[in-house]
Amino acid sequence: MTALLELHGITKTLKGQRTPRTILDGVDLTVESGESVAILGRSGSGKSTLLSLIGLFDRPDGGRYLLGGQDITRLSERRAAALRSAEFGFVFQRFFLLKHLTAAQNVAMALVNGQGWLPRRKRRARTMAALDQVGIAHLAKHRPARLSGGEQQRVAVARALVREPRLLLADEPTGALDTETGNLVIEVMRSATERGCGLILVTHDRDHANKMRRVLRLDDGVLNPATTTPDEAWTPHSAGMQAAPSGAGPTPESAAGVSAPDGADPTREGVPR
Amino acid sequence: MIRLSGRFRSALIIGIQGIRARKMRTFLSMVSLFLGVLAVVVVQAGAETVEQAQLANLAVQVGKDGTRQAYLPGSPESVRVSNETLANRPDGVVIATRQAIVGEPGVVPVNPGGTPFDQPGGYGGPGGPMYCDQYGCRPISPGGGDAGTPVPGQAIELTLNTLTGDIRQFKPFRQVSGEWLEFTSAPSLAPRLVLNLEAAKGFNRHQVPAEMRIDGTTANPTPRIIGVVDDGSPQPVAYSRTDELANWISPNTAASEFGPGLQVMLAPTAGELERLLILRLTATGTPADQIHFETIQARENIARDLALIRWIFLGMASLVLLIGVAGILNVGLATVGERVEEFALRRAVGTSRLLLAGIVLAETLLTGLLTATAAIGASALALSAAGALLADQAPFLEDMVFPWRAGVAGVIAGLVAGLLGGLIPAIRAARIPIATVMRA
Repeated sequence: MTALLELHGITKTLKGQRTPRTILDGVDLTVESGESVAILGRSGSGKSTLLSLIGLFDRPDGGRYLLGGQDITRLSERRAAALRSAEFGFVFQRFFLLKHLTAAQNVAMALVNGQGWLPRRKRRARTMAALDQVGIAHLAKHRPARLSGGEQQRVAVARALVREPRLLLADEPTGALDTETGNLVIEVMRSATERGCGLILVTHDRDHANKMRRVLRLDDGVLNPATTTPDEAWTPHSAGMQAAPSGAGPTPESAAGVSAPDGADPTREGVPR
Repeated sequence: MIRLSGRFRSALIIGIQGIRARKMRTFLSMVSLFLGVLAVVVVQAGAETVEQAQLANLAVQVGKDGTRQAYLPGSPESVRVSNETLANRPDGVVIATRQAIVGEPGVVPVNPGGTPFDQPGGYGGPGGPMYCDQYGCRPISPGGGDAGTPVPGQAIELTLNTLTGDIRQFKPFRQVSGEWLEFTSAPSLAPRLVLNLEAAKGFNRHQVPAEMRIDGTTANPTPRIIGVVDDGSPQPVAYSRTDELANWISPNTAASEFGPGLQVMLAPTAGELERLLILRLTATGTPADQIHFETIQARENIARDLALIRWIFLGMASLVLLIGVAGILNVGLATVGERVEEFALRRAVGTSRLLLAGIVLAETLLTGLLTATAAIGASALALSAAGALLADQAPFLEDMVFPWRAGVAGVIAGLVAGLLGGLIPAIRAARIPIATVMRA
């Protein structure tokens, strides 16, 4: 069976400085349909860059990127935009809702992007279905200013899901939320994987990472191919850091110097989802 | 086609959302652009208005564009042939010009030679009453002068145009009062006259007896003045039916040696009639080289004269428009700077760079269109108000309709300004990297 996503030896170097800085160094990653993957790593380790390459926001300098078996490493801007619309859903830490639009209009924004045209009635139906999926259909006419942080992030998740993407990319989606609200958002995204949607979650929260099928570590641009658990990922002796209490997640400072855990189980059986 | 339509609709929807979200900025853009578009509309409307007014005057004085006209020798034979050929023809008219004096018999008219009443050489000029003869004009002494000098009296001299049909189809005289000649009833023994404004002025100033002398008449008819028209002529003129004067003067009498003499006007479609008239005139001895029909082309002549002036003013208006463009550009760049996150986000959810540029352009184009609508509306209202307030001084304004070309020019100016003002912001918006959102 063809994997949903395959990265082979992906590299990315930041140019424009005196000495080019390698952000990603030979990243290999495979994600199957319906699979959820958490990526852990300290700040500056290249997590967001990896996500931006997967989401076709940027192009890798080297390596191969296959989506559904098709090589999409070098795409035209137009094709990349079409794939972003059809295949990916994005959730960001800062929600990025447009304040002059209602919740429903913010969700419908993903449908009014020039990639095919839906009549107003169908647009509305799909928008309301997405809002219903995240449990806030009753807030459809509210503007972001009248919504709580959790509600705003659920609107953002609904926007990501409204086109029924094959892969959901979430960059620290709970970073600005309290634990309870964060759990709610994670559950909403995880429920999407039950319908076959892949999920890549970049997070610092151990509990949230625990809910993913696989947990991977990214250190200085190198993705540890071995599957691990969050506990292993943050093991003090392997990561050179203090173990963070469950649910709190490590701070960027405490995560400094984290390295790939030794002896991680590549098959990762029994990791809770 | 469907994809293009989808993109267009998407750009339009998002553009409208953007305008609604930033009403004040849109308003400020419109203010800066309004004057520029207004200048273009006003120049275009002004040029159209002047052209229309000039054309209306020319049509009254010279004739409508496309009319075929000829000035023929005023011999009795050519007058007879022309009158017979065009009798009862709705598509042509013969105008025979004669001099007539209305008033006391045997006196010098107050305007000898049918001159205007307020000009030197006419009665009431700066030098006082004048007498003109073949030796020139000289003041008439208050005492009546010597026995050899004719005594001025209460009589008015005017140019009398006899018509075989309704001339207004070729020269649309403006009816001032009373009524125009009608050619369907039986001719009256008392010739009906329609005066022009200058003639009416003379009859208004001077109480003259209703007795009309025309060269070649054996008796003086009593005319009936039935109306006044504006024919654009500065000289006193009266219009009468040819057949009504035929009771007093033979229609075959030679036309005046002065002025146009014998004139024929034909509809553009009366080619057959024109050929028939030429044939009959040449058959009865009129030299062919004295028969020359020409087509009136007043619009073409006027357009040439006005084009240069119009382009000069449009150039000035374009400069004002450029200031408006700079305003839109300024506001547009500031807005793009503020909307970096929005544009990056839109690209993240699948909006292409091209559509993103289209969204920014849609907003500026809509702004330009709104501004053009406002400027056109203001101009139309101003023209309507000017028509109501200044109709006395400028009668052509009374029936003036806002010229559609000025509206089109305004819309084009608005769209061009929107395009020019939005182009650089659109390019900037399209170049925003999506990673901005990811790293924000």
